This record gives sequence, structure tokens and C-alpha cells, in this order.
Amino acid sequence: MASIEITNARKSYGAVDVLHGINLDIQDGEFIVLVGPSGCGKSTLLRMIAGLEDITSGDISIGGTVINDLQPKDRDIAMVFQSYALYPHMSVAENMSYALTLRKTAKEKVASAIENVAGVLGLNALLERRPKALSGGQRQRVAMGRAIVRQPQAFLFDEPLSNLDARLREQMRTEIRKLHRRLGATSVYVTHDQIEAMTMADRIVAMYNGIVQQVGTPLEIYDRPANIFVASFIGSPAMNFLEGIYQAEGDKAAITLEDGTVIPVLPSPQAENGQHITLGARPEHIDIVQDGSRPAVSSNVELIEPMGLSTLVHVTLAGKPVKIFTLARPDLAIGSQVQIAFNMDKTHIFDRQSEQRLLPLNEPRHTQQT
Amino acid sequence: MDGEQAVNTMTDVGNRPAARRGVFSRRVSGILEPYYYVSPALVLIVAVMLMPLILGLSYAFRDIRILNPFSGGFVGLAHFQTLMHDSAFLGALVNTAWWTFGSLFFQFTLGLVLALLLNRHFVGRRLVQALVFLPWAVPTFLSGLNWAWMFNPVVGPLPHWMVSLGIMETPFNILSDPDLAMWGPIVANIWFGIPFFAITLLAALQSIPGELYEAASIDGANTRQQFFSITIPFLAPTIAITLMLRTIWIANFADLIVVMTKGGPADSTQIVASYIFTQAFRRLDFGYASAIAAVLLVLLLAYALGVIALRRAMTHADS
Repeated sequence: MASIEITNARKSYGAVDVLHGINLDIQDGEFIVLVGPSGCGKSTLLRMIAGLEDITSGDISIGGTVINDLQPKDRDIAMVFQSYALYPHMSVAENMSYALTLRKTAKEKVASAIENVAGVLGLNALLERRPKALSGGQRQRVAMGRAIVRQPQAFLFDEPLSNLDARLREQMRTEIRKLHRRLGATSVYVTHDQIEAMTMADRIVAMYNGIVQQVGTPLEIYDRPANIFVASFIGSPAMNFLEGIYQAEGDKAAITLEDGTVIPVLPSPQAENGQHITLGARPEHIDIVQDGSRPAVSSNVELIEPMGLSTLVHVTLAGKPVKIFTLARPDLAIGSQVQIAFNMDKTHIFDRQSEQRLLPLNEPRHTQQT
Repeated sequence: MDGEQAVNTMTDVGNRPAARRGVFSRRVSGILEPYYYVSPALVLIVAVMLMPLILGLSYAFRDIRILNPFSGGFVGLAHFQTLMHDSAFLGALVNTAWWTFGSLFFQFTLGLVLALLLNRHFVGRRLVQALVFLPWAVPTFLSGLNWAWMFNPVVGPLPHWMVSLGIMETPFNILSDPDLAMWGPIVANIWFGIPFFAITLLAALQSIPGELYEAASIDGANTRQQFFSITIPFLAPTIAITLMLRTIWIANFADLIVVMTKGGPADSTQIVASYIFTQAFRRLDFGYASAIAAVLLVLLLAYALGVIALRRAMTHADS
């Protein structure tokens, strides 16, 4: 087990810069999830750690040793690929023991290691099979087993669950998490699925356009997104965004939307009166107010999606679509007017130009930002 | 005609009560119908492949000499009995093995090396890939003539080069030396056959997922270990099928030999295929030539069945 430090790592293909100076410290035993849309550079970063891509400049070290120029095999890492990359002509047992055999590990040791890992992953009955005779989930398990058998310093996962169906993905998610807790191995996990990121990570690294947008625990990222990208990428259903102008007076502040609707927000010392703002509110932080108990604004009901546990109400406010998540089952008619209230403490404001979040008065800057 | 009826049942089904047509005849025409569609191909195959084959095989049991108007009678196994004691034929059999496996070994080895080189990324790779295919595009008799000239010390450079390299003491034509003559056509055949292996193996190489090499490199395999544990197992099916096909083609491939040495000197480069050619078109003894061809056919069939059985045994052991 080891920590991984990435210092100002850059990657360019010719004139195209893919990663613009990544800095990241991964603690020993930590489960880090790199998340972002495709093309954001997360896989490239992972492959640079693995040694499958050169590092254009900067340093990557594992356990305190700079590994920039080491061959993948000398980095003592294991990787699980999206396609699993199992050796098709080898049995499950041979696939898992390949690395150990190459290291000339004693046969008895290999056998006991395989038995051990197969037991953990429930692969005992499949050891003699070829990968083509396995289901997707089983292949995934074998790929995991191949990584675990070696007891590497760090595990690298490149979208390992994206080829599985939804139910299996959910199941493997918890299994990987349990395995991590059991093995305590430093893990770097790449995904474009924000739910995987939220549920699995000790810390999430949100990436976009080759830049780390924010690093933090899942709840930090969810509650205090650094910018509009992170706010919109993390969370499902996604955050609502409305454009307006910031007005503050004393210890009160509000955003005036394009149609004149006024929504109160927490005042921010970083914002100025008249500044163009994007207001962000998660669907669960907007309430439907039917009894007039709170100050509310009027909106039009467009669509109601009942999901059993909860209901998603689509409304329009100032001409923009807004989604409201509620555990109640509101009795609303499509096309009718409904009063909604924004939960002021949970509503964010972003500078429209820089897209950075403007912090409210009492919130310290304790999430890492770039 | 039955064919028309079959079509009618297809088109008139809606107009006619189903009961009026017998279930049996409908079933029969249903079974026959696909055969009508493939019949043009079947007729062609029978006319240009099956008939000549049967006719050719029948010649093997008859005395057919073009210049002898009284020939044509049935001679039973006489040709085969003669063959058993025909030292030229037995020599040709040995030469065929020599020619086939000598060519095949170098064609395959060098073709594989070339495929591995072409599988790397370098500037102008596509151009080189196209150029590599060129020997295949040259008519074989032209290749044969060129190589014959190249081995000729009067007009060709090869003997002089070999002298410079110390392989030869004085420049002479290896094609006229009974001990060495076979190497002439073999060298030409190697040159001619490398592209086939290079291109087919390159195609197989390009179908290997790159992630397997990445996984192996992370698992700790060096280039040599990756070659033996990923590349070779992936290429194995292609290697098996191409080696089998090429063995049969080369064993039957007399063009280069006929052009370069005409089987000489003193039958030292005579292979079975060129011996058939000599018997049929030089001595005009079609009966005897057909008998030799029949033997060659049986030998190659036995070889192919052997290879298929071996392959089946190997894939069964696999799964």
C-alpha cells in the first residue's frame, strides 16, 4: 500500500494539451474517484499513473518514489480495464496467476493465493473456465481477482462497471467498496458516472477539460460545488440553474430573475450589487408551498413524474425549466399555478462570467479548488 | 414444370383454397424451392469442377497418349504399378517435400517477422505495406525468368555477390548444379510467398486488442513474454489455416520450377506437379500424368485431413 502524489502533471499530444498541470495527493489506502465527462482527461491521468502513457511534464510518485520513467511492470500497480482485457486463451486461474507466474512465484504460493482470492470473489467454481464461457459480471470479477492476487501498492480502475447492466453495476459497486474496506489498498477509480463517484469515493476528483475542478468528499462536492460544472455534473436529478442579478442590502440579499421574480439568497461578500449571477438550487432544495406558510414565488406546472418513493415536479419559473424533488405526492394539475420556495441556506450563487461559486458570509474556503 | 408450380403456390395462395392443393406436394416444392435458386451455381460447379475431376481420374485407368491414335483403352492399375517403380516419380516425391517445406519455412518465418515490423507505427507505413505486396502482383513466370537470370553469372549479380561473401569460390549458376539447383526456385518462391504470410498475419495481428498488451505489461510481461503469451496464441488459428493452405498450394505450384529449371538438371528439381506437366504436355501421355495427379490428390487430401484432425484435437484440448 502506498500514497500517490501527482505534481503538476501535464500531457500533450503534439500541440493538443490534454491535461493542464494536475496536482493531486492520494493518501495511503484512500479510494479516489476521478469523475468527469468523456474527454476530460481522467482516463489519460489514470493511464499515466499506470505507465501506459508518457508524462509530458511534471512528476508522479508512488510511495515516495518518482515513477515517471519506470515501466508499468516496475510500478507495482494493478489495473482493471473497462473491457476487462482478460487473456482469452487462458483459464480463469491462469488469468489470475499470470503475473505471479511471471515473477516466478512458487507454485504452492500461487495456488494458495488463487484459492484465497477466488474464495473472496466467489470464483471457485469457474477457475478452469475460459473467459468466453463467463458472463459479464463474472468476467468483471476475474479482472478484479487478477488485480487482487498480486497485492499491488495501488489499484487502478478504468470504468470497470460501464459494460455491466444497471442491476449488476449496483451490486459490483458495493462489492468493490467492501473489497476496498477489506484490503485497504490505495485505489484510483475512473468513471463518468456521478452516482458511482458519490457512492464509492472517499474523495472525488471532478475533472473537466483537463483541469481538476474540485477535490473533496462526496458530500463536500455535493453540498459546496466549486463551480457550475461541478454543480451540474454531480447530482441526479441535476441542479436547477436560473440567471438573475444580485442585490444585497444589509444582511439580506436576493436574486432578481429576468421576469422580475425575486428569490432571497444568503449574502456573499464576494458578490457585488448588480452582478450577473447564475442561481443554483438542487431539486430537493425547492419546496412546494401550498398553505402560504412561507414566502413563495409562483410557477407553472409542466409535468409530474411519480417515482414511487418520490415525485419529480417539472415547473417553469421565469421561462426556465425547474425540477422539484419531493417525497410528498402533491395533488397538482398540469398547467396549474404552484407556489414554490427556495431553501435559502442550500441555494448557491455562481458568478456568470467565471462560473465560480460565490461563497456566503460564514462559509470558509475548505474545499480544495483550482 | 415443377419450378413454375412452386412459384405459383407462392403467388396464388390467396386466390385458391388451401385444401385444393395437396399438403404433400406443397411440402415437396417447399423443400425443392431453394435448390432452384442455387441451381445455376450447382450446374457450373458440376460442369467445370466435378466432371473434369471424374474425367481426369478416369484417365488414370486408361491408356491415353495424344500422338497414338490407337490408345484410349482401359488399362486398370497398370499406370500405378509403373509409378511404384518409376524412380523419377519417387525422386519427384522427395523433391516435392523438400521444395514445399523448404519454401514454407522461410516464407512463414520471414512473413511473420515482416508482419510484426509492419504492425509498428512509423512514417510511410501504408506505402510500405502496399510495396510489400508487390511480389504477389508480378506474374509468376516473369518472376521465374528474372530469378533465373539473377542466378546466371553472365547476366545476373547473385553468383558474384555470393563469391564476394565467400559462400562460393567461383561464380557459377546454381541452377545447373544438381545438388544446389533446388535452392534457386526455393529462393524465388520465398520471395514470392512472403507477402501472403505478411499480409494475412498482419491482419490477424491488428485484430488483437491493444488492452491485452497493456494488461500484460502491467502484469509484468516483457516484450518476449507478451509475444509468446498473447501474440502467438492469437495468431495460432491464422497460422494453422495459412500453413495448411500454403502447403497445398506450394506442393502444386510448378510455375517457378518449370520456368527456371524445367525440372532439371537431371530431374534434380522435378517435383510431382512439374513431373505431371512434363508427362502430360511434353510426352503427351495423359493417362500416366492423370495417374500421378491422382496420387498427388490422395497425398494432399491425406495431409489436409491430418492437419484438420490435429487442429480439432488441439481446439478440443483448449475448451
